Amino acid sequence: MAVTQAPSPAPPAGPAAPRRRGRPARHKSDGAAGYIFLSPWLLGFAVITAIPMLMSLYLSFTNYDVLSDWSSTEWVGLDNYRQMFTEDPSFWHAVRVTITFALIATPLKLAAALGVALLLNRSFRGDGLFRGLFYLPSLLGGSVAVAIVWKSMFNGDGSFNAFLGWFGIEGKAWVNDPDYALGTLILLAVWQFGAPMVIFLAGLKQVPQELYEAASVDGAGPVRQFFAVTLPILSPVIFFNLVLETINGFQGFTSAFVLSGGTGGPVDSTLMYTLHLYNKGFTEYQMGYASAMAWVFLLSIGLVTVLIFRTGKFWVHYSDGDD
Amino acid sequence: MTATHPPRRRFLRTLVAGMLALPLVLGACGGDDSGGDDGKTELSFFWWGGEARAELTAKALDLYTAKHPDVTFKKTWQANQGYFDKLATLTAGDDAPDIFQIDDNFLSEYATRNVTLDLTSYQSDGKLDTTKFPEGLWKYGVVDGKLAGLAFGENTQGLVYNKSKLEAAKQPLPKTGMSWEEHIAWAQKAGPATGLAGTQDPSADYKAFWVWLRQQGKEMYNGNQLGFTAADVQAWFELWKGARDGKATPSADVIHEGNQTDITKQLVVTNKALTSWVWANQMPELQKNTKDELGVVAYPGDASKQWPRASMYFSVFRGTEHKDIAVDVINFLANDPEAGKILGTDRGLPSNLDVRASVAASTDNASMKQTIAAIDELSKNYGPSPSVPPRGHSTVRSELIKAAEEAQYGRATPAQAAEQFFAASQAAVSR
Repeated sequence: MAVTQAPSPAPPAGPAAPRRRGRPARHKSDGAAGYIFLSPWLLGFAVITAIPMLMSLYLSFTNYDVLSDWSSTEWVGLDNYRQMFTEDPSFWHAVRVTITFALIATPLKLAAALGVALLLNRSFRGDGLFRGLFYLPSLLGGSVAVAIVWKSMFNGDGSFNAFLGWFGIEGKAWVNDPDYALGTLILLAVWQFGAPMVIFLAGLKQVPQELYEAASVDGAGPVRQFFAVTLPILSPVIFFNLVLETINGFQGFTSAFVLSGGTGGPVDSTLMYTLHLYNKGFTEYQMGYASAMAWVFLLSIGLVTVLIFRTGKFWVHYSDGDD
Repeated sequence: MTATHPPRRRFLRTLVAGMLALPLVLGACGGDDSGGDDGKTELSFFWWGGEARAELTAKALDLYTAKHPDVTFKKTWQANQGYFDKLATLTAGDDAPDIFQIDDNFLSEYATRNVTLDLTSYQSDGKLDTTKFPEGLWKYGVVDGKLAGLAFGENTQGLVYNKSKLEAAKQPLPKTGMSWEEHIAWAQKAGPATGLAGTQDPSADYKAFWVWLRQQGKEMYNGNQLGFTAADVQAWFELWKGARDGKATPSADVIHEGNQTDITKQLVVTNKALTSWVWANQMPELQKNTKDELGVVAYPGDASKQWPRASMYFSVFRGTEHKDIAVDVINFLANDPEAGKILGTDRGLPSNLDVRASVAASTDNASMKQTIAAIDELSKNYGPSPSVPPRGHSTVRSELIKAAEEAQYGRATPAQAAEQFFAASQAAVSR
């Protein structure tokens, strides 16, 4: 390439310069670079999400048992699904336990999150500290440690009973009682309200002050303001939290696993769906059956989510800026 | 050239993107390298246990390496929780360890699915020496006529009781040979006298149920079938309902605590009952968890119906590339006197009786001595052993806990609970 050359004029017109069709080359190369950058993620998604999911769908129609050679794995069609619905009493029991858990824990958790968010929504000294403290339990999320602490707190000689003792109430071994064990799990879930609380806080900050001013000019007290202003404006955030926490509630596993030592006891009172699935796959080696359970689970949660979305249009209020 | 960017810059950009992505891609599909081919062999060795066991095992394996410099070990161990999940996952990936520890909950699960190497031929040509083992013990590793695992350590059922509390209250100690009714009557008196509940209710405990069944002339399993009827289970549940009604046991929620397998939760160490129904070799471990002195006797009834149970086995993966060396390693661990001294009674009493005698002579741990003496005493009158539990055994165990607890909490009559357990375990073994 010659260095000393006059800057070249505009490209000559004429047939020599072909018309570009479609996308300019520049975009093509941008796309290529983008995909190259994305490739680790794409690869990861394929290898550790998409392929295993398809694999489990396939396995759910087989009698795959983890330990045997592939050669002895047989296609059994819908047999796993039939067994699940007709021959496994524990399946329906687990469904009941899970629905009970999700139906009670989710609303309570959201109520607690919203209540505390309202309290923390004003400025006072040390508000940051309190926000942090209330958020802390959910940072410890589904951790094993929290579940172990919970287990010892609600034991017969645990601190919860010591606390009741101050009021002269005789406690019992809550975690060892089939009537109350699930209750302690629900309580644990409710206690971990930090994540929805933070989201509620963010939502509350979005409520325009002038609406409150207008409402108080109209003579609305704090209660009326809450129902007429705060809740409607907050409804998209409530909706978001509701969907998320419902899914979380259905998927509860760690605390039940730790509290019952993996058994779902006492007397299956804490046999969450996921726990039953895990035991089928890993202690009974019925991985085909467990895969079928997982797909039924996926579809069920999908259905519940769709239902929540359907109800959304009756109570979720999106302000479109001109009201 | 018609691009707006100079070609060099475009090329550079693509190159950088590629370089950034490359390590991630390579990292994502990094395989595992296999052992070298220079006459050296590396065997993977996988077991569950605690720190102490890990140290002993590593030491014993290093001793093997010292004697066979071309054999080294890739040692992996972890706590019991999750061990079998990991073993199953490795097996599923056709990546099972060359040698792994396993117990009678899962031996049949693995053996019947052809994961374990059949050791019979090694045994018959003396490469795997079981001549110094109690016969019932090595036989407890045979599944479907194949020797699926080498029994590593012997134990048998043991009723551990709180000696200090009983002596302080001037109560008689439980003795081997008491009948079940005598045992319950003893607990009814000893409980109130010591201020503890009398005896842990073992109706959820499969080993107690099994011993009791054998004393009734039945078995837990005949081959891959149940060896009992719903009526047997009902009689067993009723025996203990009587004991609960007669206040010989703690309340249901306390019984539930003791129904867990965790050593530290056993009622005899948490001081919630005078007895726990355990394996005799767990005695030293229990003793570590309490200040009171403990004693151990056989379960009630005819003690000759107990059997030498392998506390665990070492099995060789059928797909290993070094079958002979792997077998030689487990043979060494079981029979070499030096290795035996290192390993002690950590996995139960040494299977090799000569090794056991020398370990017993050299230990200064009182409860260890007592355990060895107790098991040796019991082993004098063992009858024939049952065979290894079939596939589905772990489900049967958890179903028994579930059904027995239904009865313990009073949510079901013994008859209903028995029916439920019988149906569920029938389904579990016939899958």
